[in-house]
Amino acid sequence: MAVISVATRYKTTVKEPGVPGVLKMNEERFVFMPNDPRSLMKLNVEFKNIKGHKFSKDGSKQALLNLTQDPEKGTGYIFEFDNFTDRNSCRDFVGRVLGKLQSVPGRPNEQSVPEKPAGAPLPEQLSAIEMERRIKLLREDSELQRLHKQFVLSGVLTESEFWATRKALLGEDANHTTKQRPGFKSAMLADVRPSADGRTNKVTFSLTPEIIQQIFAEKPAVHRAFLNLVPSKMSEKDFWTKYCRAEYLNRTKNAVVAAAEAAEDEELAVFLKHDDILANEARRKIRRVDPTLDMEADEGDDYIHLPDHGILRDGQKDTADTETEVSRRTLSQDLNRHAAVVLEGRTLDVELGDTRTVAEALAWSKQELLSNEKSEENVNLEKQERVARMTELEDLQASRNPPYASLCIKDPREYFDSQQANALRSLGGTEFGTNSLDLNLSKEEAYRHLKEQISEAKSRGLKNPIIRPDTALKVFSGLSQHLSSTRFQLGKNSQESALDRIPHRTKDELMHHWTSIQELLRHFWSSYPITTTGLYNKVQRVKDAMAQIYQKLQEIKESSQSDFRHQISLLVQPMLQALDAAFAHYDSEQQKRAAKGGAKPNGFVR
Amino acid sequence: MKLEVEGLTVYFPYERIYPEQVEYMRELKRALDAGGHALLEMPTGTGKTAALLSLIVSYSLESPQHQHQLKLLYCTRTVHEMEKTLAELRLLASHLPPTTKSRLLALGLSSRKNLCVNPHVLSAQSRDSVDAACRRLTASWVRTLAHDNPQVPTCPFFEAYDRAASAGPDAVLLPPGVYTLGDLRSFGRSKGWCPYFLARHMIRYANVVVYSYQYLLDPKVATIISKEMQKECVVVFDEAHNIDNVCIEALSVSIRKQTLEGATRNLTQMSQEIERLKATDAGRLRAEYNRLVEGLAQRGNLAITDAWLGNPALPDDILKEAVPGNIRRAEHFLSVLRRLVQYLKSRLLTDKVETENPVNFCAAINSQAGIDQKMLKFCYDRLHSLMLTLEITNTDEFMHIQTVCDFATLVSTYARGFSIIIEPYDERMPTIPDPVLQLSCHDASLAIKPVFDRFQSVIITSGTLSPIDLYPRLLNFSPVISRSFTMSLTRDCICPMVLTRGSDQLPVSTKFDMRSDPGVVRNYGRLLLEMVAAVPDGIVCFFVSYSYMDGIVNSWNEMGILQDVMQHKLVFIETQDVVETTLALDNYRKACDSGRGAVFFSVARGKVAEGIDFDRHYGRLVIMFGVPFQYTLSRILLARLEYLRETFQIKEGDFLTFDALRQAAQCVGRVIRSKADYGMMIFADKRYSRHDKRSKLPGWILSHLHDAHLNLSTDMALHIAREFLRRMAQPYDKTGCGSKKTLLSEEDVMRMSEGAMDTY
Repeated sequence: MAVISVATRYKTTVKEPGVPGVLKMNEERFVFMPNDPRSLMKLNVEFKNIKGHKFSKDGSKQALLNLTQDPEKGTGYIFEFDNFTDRNSCRDFVGRVLGKLQSVPGRPNEQSVPEKPAGAPLPEQLSAIEMERRIKLLREDSELQRLHKQFVLSGVLTESEFWATRKALLGEDANHTTKQRPGFKSAMLADVRPSADGRTNKVTFSLTPEIIQQIFAEKPAVHRAFLNLVPSKMSEKDFWTKYCRAEYLNRTKNAVVAAAEAAEDEELAVFLKHDDILANEARRKIRRVDPTLDMEADEGDDYIHLPDHGILRDGQKDTADTETEVSRRTLSQDLNRHAAVVLEGRTLDVELGDTRTVAEALAWSKQELLSNEKSEENVNLEKQERVARMTELEDLQASRNPPYASLCIKDPREYFDSQQANALRSLGGTEFGTNSLDLNLSKEEAYRHLKEQISEAKSRGLKNPIIRPDTALKVFSGLSQHLSSTRFQLGKNSQESALDRIPHRTKDELMHHWTSIQELLRHFWSSYPITTTGLYNKVQRVKDAMAQIYQKLQEIKESSQSDFRHQISLLVQPMLQALDAAFAHYDSEQQKRAAKGGAKPNGFVR
Repeated sequence: MKLEVEGLTVYFPYERIYPEQVEYMRELKRALDAGGHALLEMPTGTGKTAALLSLIVSYSLESPQHQHQLKLLYCTRTVHEMEKTLAELRLLASHLPPTTKSRLLALGLSSRKNLCVNPHVLSAQSRDSVDAACRRLTASWVRTLAHDNPQVPTCPFFEAYDRAASAGPDAVLLPPGVYTLGDLRSFGRSKGWCPYFLARHMIRYANVVVYSYQYLLDPKVATIISKEMQKECVVVFDEAHNIDNVCIEALSVSIRKQTLEGATRNLTQMSQEIERLKATDAGRLRAEYNRLVEGLAQRGNLAITDAWLGNPALPDDILKEAVPGNIRRAEHFLSVLRRLVQYLKSRLLTDKVETENPVNFCAAINSQAGIDQKMLKFCYDRLHSLMLTLEITNTDEFMHIQTVCDFATLVSTYARGFSIIIEPYDERMPTIPDPVLQLSCHDASLAIKPVFDRFQSVIITSGTLSPIDLYPRLLNFSPVISRSFTMSLTRDCICPMVLTRGSDQLPVSTKFDMRSDPGVVRNYGRLLLEMVAAVPDGIVCFFVSYSYMDGIVNSWNEMGILQDVMQHKLVFIETQDVVETTLALDNYRKACDSGRGAVFFSVARGKVAEGIDFDRHYGRLVIMFGVPFQYTLSRILLARLEYLRETFQIKEGDFLTFDALRQAAQCVGRVIRSKADYGMMIFADKRYSRHDKRSKLPGWILSHLHDAHLNLSTDMALHIAREFLRRMAQPYDKTGCGSKKTLLSEEDVMRMSEGAMDTY
C-alpha cells in the first residue's frame, strides 16, 4: 500500500512551536525525521501502539493531527501541518490504517482482511468501499466490535452472517445522511452594509468568501462580469472596489450621480444596469408557472387597463415611471431574488476561498441545471395534475382507504423461498399436505391454494392469534411482580436501578452476555426453517455457542454472593428462559428431522 | 353524489356536501326559476364555486328538449381564477353521467396573448403588440394580398382554421369536454387551427363560457365578443365584491401628455397615408365617403379578424344615424382631430386642479375648437372606419389616437355620472409636473345596465358583499333573491383577532399621523417577528398601499427586524411588476411545500389580494396591517363620493369605511378554503376595535370574533395564536355531531328534503 511523506512539525504539546521535519507513513509504522539532523526528536513508531487519532477542525487556527498512545492520559504525537490539505491526507491515511489494525485487535500479524475463517461456506467478494464501511462501523462502535470479535473471529458466525443482520447500518442511506449538504443561509449576506469610521469621509465594505458566493448566485450579471473581467482586465480587488462603489451609489439612491458615473465607466455601469440575465430567466420561468398563479396572463387579458384607459391616479398606483438606463433596484427585488436563490439551494460543492473557482463552479452548475430542465410536455402534465389536486375540497371527498405502507422486501427470492417452505410445512398435517406432496407446484395451483387459505382464514378467523392471551397474561403478571418486588427491595430511591447494586464486574459480565445472547438468538431464529445445509451448520454452531454461554450464566448465578443472588437470578432468569426455548425448539426440530429422514430434492428439509 | 334540489337532480362532484351548499343551491334554483337576478353572499371556504357550477350545469343540461339551452356565462376577475374555475368544472364533468357529460362543452376565453400558438406572433412582448402582430397576418386585406402574392406572410394556423370553417360552421367544432386555455392551445396545435378564433367561434355552441368580467362589462370588448349571446344566459359574476370598481373603470379614460404627443404622431402618419392613397388608389377613399353618406358608420359585414376594439360607449347610447357631413371626408376628419388634440394640450397646461362636468367641457370644445357634440360622438366610429380604409394593421402604434377618440365619444355621450378632472401633478409628488386629464365615471350602474337588461338571470356572488343592501343601490338593479349565508363550522377553524397595541402597550395604527412613527413601525415589526417564530408554514401580510409597504419594509431592514424574520422564514414581496410577483408567489408556494415556511408581503387592493388563494399551509395566518382606506385626497375619489351622496344618499364616511372593510375582509378571507382548513386573521390597527368599523365586516368573520379578542396586545395575540394552533392540531370529527351536522352525505340530504316535505 501507499507510503505517504509530508513536511510537518512535531511537538509534544500543542503550545510549543515544534520541530520541523518530514513525516513518513506506511502500513505499519510512521517515521519522523527532523530537518535538523542533530535534533534528537526522531520518531519511529509502529501503528499498533497507536490507539486513536484526533485532529483540529478544518478552518481552525492550526492544522493539527494527534496520534494518541493512551486514550485516558491523552499522551501522543502531535504534528502541525502547514495547511489543511496535507493534514487531511495524513489524517485519512492514519484513519485507514488504524481502522484495519483495530478491526483485528491482538492479531496484528494476520492479514488485513479479517473475515473468512477457514471453511466459511460462502466466501464473499467485497468491494473496498464495503470493507472500509464495515471497518469504520466497527471502529465507531465498541460494542459491535466486541461482538464481532467474539463470534466472527471465533468462527461461530461468518462475516457475512454477522453483517447480514446489520444491513441498515451498512446501507446507502446511512452514508447519505452523513453527507447532507447545507443549503444557503437565510440571512441576506449580499446586502452588504457600509460602515463609516465617523472621522473621515471613508466608508468600508467588507466582503467574505461566503458573501461573495451569495453575490454571485443572486446577481448573475456580476457573476458574468467577474468571469469576463478578472483577471484579464482588472484585478480582483479592483473589481470588488467597483462593485462596492456601485452598491454605495445604489444605497444613497442618488439616481443622477449613478447615471453620470455609469455613463463614464462602462464597467461600473454593469453593476448599475438592469440585470438582463435575470430578466431572461424570469421570462423562461414564467412559462412554467402554475396557471392558477399566473398574473402575467391576467395582464394579457385586461382590456380595461389599455394604456390610458381606466382610472389612472386614484392613489393606488405609482405613476412615476422614469425610464432610465440605470434602473432603480429596490429592496423588494433583492428580497425576492434572495429567497428564490435560497430555495434553489446551494448547488456548489467547492471550498470557499478562491473566488475564481467559486465563480467557475457556479457557472458550470448553472449549465447543468439548464440541461436538466424537463420537457414542456411533462411540465404541462404536472401543472394539470397539480391544479386538479388543488381544486379538490379534501373534506368533501369520500374517506379514502387508510394509508398503508407498501410491502418492501429487500431480497424477494430469499423471502418467497422461505415463505413457501413455511406454508407447506404448516400444512403438513392437514388435508392439503396429502395432495401437495408434489412440491413442484405450478403457479395456478399455488395461487388456488393461497386463495383457499385466505377464504378459510376469512371464514374461520386466524387460528393462532399473534400472542395467545394466556401467555400474554403470564408474561405480564410475571413482569409486574418482578417490578414490584424490585421496587420493594430498592425502597423509594427511584433513581437507582437493580443493576447498580450488583458488583461492577458481574454487571459488566451480565450485560455482555445479554448482548451476546441477543445476537445469537437473532441468528438462531432467523435460520429457521432450515432449507439449506449451510443453515443447518450455522444452527449447530450457534447452538454450541449458546450452550457455552448458558454454562457461564449458570456459573455466575451460583458464584454470586448470597445478598445479590436473588437479584442476579432474577436478571438471569429471562436469558435462561430464552435460551431454553431455543434449545427446546432445536431438539424438537431435530427429532422431526430424524423421524422424517432424508432431504427433499430441492434442498427443502422436512 | 346526486341530490335533489326542489325537484331538480343535481350532480355534485364530491361524496359529501356542506349544508350551506345545499342551501345556496336552493336559493340559486329559485332565482333561475324566477328568471331574475340574485345577490348571494357566501363565506369563503364553503365551496361556493363548486355548488354554483353543479347547480347551473345540472339545471341547463336537465332539459334536452329545450330549444335554447340555458348557457352559463361565468365571469371571473382574473385569468388564474378562470383556470381554477375550469379545473372545478373538469372535476364536475368527471362526475356527470355519460349521457349528460357528452353534452357538456365548457371553455375559457382570453385574449390572443394567452391563446395564440403562432411562435412568430407570440414573440411580441405586450398584449397590444400581439394583437397587432396577429392582425398583420390575418387582416382581410393582408390575406387578399397574400392570395395574389405568396411572398406576403400569413398565419398558417388561421389559414387552416379558415379553410376548415369554409365547409360550414359545423366543420370546426370542439368535441364536448372542458377546455382550459392550455387545452385550447394544445388542441389548436394538434389540429393546426388557430385556438383564438376557434374559441371565439365555439362560444356560440358552448354550455359554459368562462371569461373575464370585461368581456361583458367593458363595451369596447363586449360589443366585439359577447354581442351574439342570447337572452337565455345565466351570467355569474364570481368574487364580485369589487364589481362596482370594474364598472367605473371600464368607462374611464385618462389622457396624459405622452398620449397627446403620440396622437399627433399618429395623425401625421395618417395624413401621409391619405396623401399616398389619393395618388395611388383614390377609389378607396371615395368608396368610404359614399358609404358614410349612406349612413353606414361601419362597413357591413366585417371579417372576424378585422374587428378591433369596439365603441367605448354602451350599445344603447350609440347614435344610429349617419356620420355628420363635415367629418365624412378623411382629411376633414383629421383636421377635426388635430384641433381636438390641440385643445386638449392647451387644457393640460393648467397649473391648478380643475374639475368640470361633461356638458361644460363639450361646450368649451365647441366654442374654442369649433367641434360640436355630434362630431365628438362620432369620433370613434369615424376613426375606426378610416383605419379600415387605410388598412392599418399596426394597431398597437395607434393606441394614442384611439384613446383620444374614445375620450371624445364618451365625454359627448354622457352628461351625467362623469366628471373631468385635470391635475397638473400627482398630489403626493407636487414637484414633478405630470399633467393628466381624466374622464372618470362615477356611476357603476351605467356599465352593468346592459347586462341586467339583456340576460334573464345575473348572479352576483362573493365571500364579502356586506352590507348586502348596498350593492343593489350601487348597481341599480332589483334582485329577486338577496341573501347572506352564514357558515356552520365543525370546529372554530378561523380565529380573527383585533390587535390594537404593541407589546409596549402603545397603540398601533396606519392613521396618517401615526404611520411613520418609529414606535408604530417597530411594534408592527415585533408583531410579525413573534408570529413568524410561532406559526408554521405560510404567513401573509397585507399593507395598505405599495408606498407604505416599501417604506415599512425598508425601515424594518434598517432596524434589523427583517433579518430576524429571515431567521425563521423566507420573505417574498409583491411588486408592481407582475412577472416578478408571479415568480415570487410560485417560490412562496415552493417554500411552503418544502416545509421551510415563508412570509408574503402584499398590498390590499393589489393584484395578489384580488385573486390568489392562500389556503391550507400556504396561509396559516394573515396579518392586515392597518385599515386599507382609499387615498382620500384623490380628486377622483372625492368626485365619486360627492356623486354617491347626491344620487344615492350614501354618506362619504360610510362608503369609505364600507370600501376599506370589504377590502380587509377580502384579504383575510383568502386563508380558508374548506372546513378542514384553518387559519388566523389579525387585524392590526386600533381603529378595528371601534364598533362602526368592525360591524362592517361580513357576518362569518364577526361571529368568530370573540369579545376577548377585540383589544389585544402583541403578547396576548401570540398567546392566543399558540393556543389556537395547538387546538387545531388535534384530530376531530369531520362530520360534526348531533343536530349540528356540518357535512352531509347523500342519505342525509335525502332525509333533509323528506323532512322538509313533511313540514309542508
